Amino acid sequence: MLQVLQFGAGPIPDGVLRAMFAARKAVFVDLLKWDVPVLDGAYELDQFDDEHATYLVLAGSDGRHLGSARLLRTDRPHILGSFYSELCEDGAPRGKNIREITRFCLDRSLKAAERRQVRDTLVTALAEHALGEGIAAYSAVAEIGWLQQILAFGWRCVPLGLPRKIDGALLAALRIDIDADTPARLRAAGIAPSPAIAGDARVAA
Amino acid sequence: MNIHLTAVQLIRIVEGVRNVDDLTTAMAVVAARLGFQHFALTHHVDVLAAGTSAIRIHNYPVRWADYYDRQALGVSDPVHRASHVTSVGFCWSRMPRMIPLTAEDRRVLALGREQGIGDGFTVPAHVPGEARGSCSFANEAGRPMPHKMLPMAQLAGAFAFEAARRLWSTRGHLPTPPPAALTDRQRDCVLWAARGKGDWEIGQILGISEETVAKHIRLACERYGVHKRTSLLIRTLFDGTITFGDIAGR
Repeated sequence: MLQVLQFGAGPIPDGVLRAMFAARKAVFVDLLKWDVPVLDGAYELDQFDDEHATYLVLAGSDGRHLGSARLLRTDRPHILGSFYSELCEDGAPRGKNIREITRFCLDRSLKAAERRQVRDTLVTALAEHALGEGIAAYSAVAEIGWLQQILAFGWRCVPLGLPRKIDGALLAALRIDIDADTPARLRAAGIAPSPAIAGDARVAA
Repeated sequence: MNIHLTAVQLIRIVEGVRNVDDLTTAMAVVAARLGFQHFALTHHVDVLAAGTSAIRIHNYPVRWADYYDRQALGVSDPVHRASHVTSVGFCWSRMPRMIPLTAEDRRVLALGREQGIGDGFTVPAHVPGEARGSCSFANEAGRPMPHKMLPMAQLAGAFAFEAARRLWSTRGHLPTPPPAALTDRQRDCVLWAARGKGDWEIGQILGISEETVAKHIRLACERYGVHKRTSLLIRTLFDGTITFGDIAGR
């Protein structure tokens, strides 16, 4: 089921968000070896995990984490604006109707076929969330290999600058424009959400 | 020159095309703007065997392209092999440090140089569940590599490959992957076989008999229409039923 969540100050609440922070640690720290902070040896949280972040989380009926993404406001400090503005020719895009997609995370426990279903469901949820919330575009920083997959989702992508090698990885910044045509473009690219994973998004949101 | 603006213009050009001929023309323009005489946008498959299902457009010298297809170099081409070990664009001069080059590889590269394809820059393009591909830009021997343009070539290559994918998919050539072909138990057996275990060992691990393991693998082979275990492993890796991470991870 899709859940759209926020998380204020204080300890990590039990349940879906806690499972998500643990899953993020398993993916970004243990698997991808990112140099990011880890809380209590178990949860990946950084300075952007605060009351201004919004989380789209896909969880199983038992609360198990399947996939998630973190959306940051671009009119506040965010990753592209604070750390990677050199990837943008004209500065990082900022605005009330632009969010940055960060920590796109597919659970490590997923088998290959499930991964694709969860990924497609999460990508579709991102587009629908944007349309529902009046978000006109997402920004994102991606390693170059992942960029090819983001393009293959079918949504309209615009590069914000030339790729650069930063800390050993070739990174690029993108703007993903979301409009009424985006859901059809995703479908045409074969991105199909799984009803069993998505649940009823409107109730959850 | 505002390099980024040029990149966005090039990307608009390739995204605006409506058919394969237009894309071929557009890519020649893009290659020239980047400082290259030639481009090749391909899936890494045996082009003569795959027919029209594989992406392949280029403006390489005709004689070289014909030779290349006849020799089925799409699958063994050292440039393509090198592009499978990285997701970052690379100059061909770096290949000896990326993959082991055989005597035959060196012969092919030398032959390419004679036929007008000297040094090049290749952008790997990998979309999970589909054949790997790449976008290469090349010059005849003796021309300087346009190093300043390579970040733009990286970006243009990625967007061009995606533009080609969309053209091919609207022609019905890139079907979405079918639903899982195997049962979970069959997949478990295939996975342990890929990790190098024999039937008896797999049986011990999964708590089933050796005969049952053999039966699962045989049924899995039937579902894929293959006769050999090796073919089964390749097919399941290719369609994402199992991944290299599954095999190596533990």
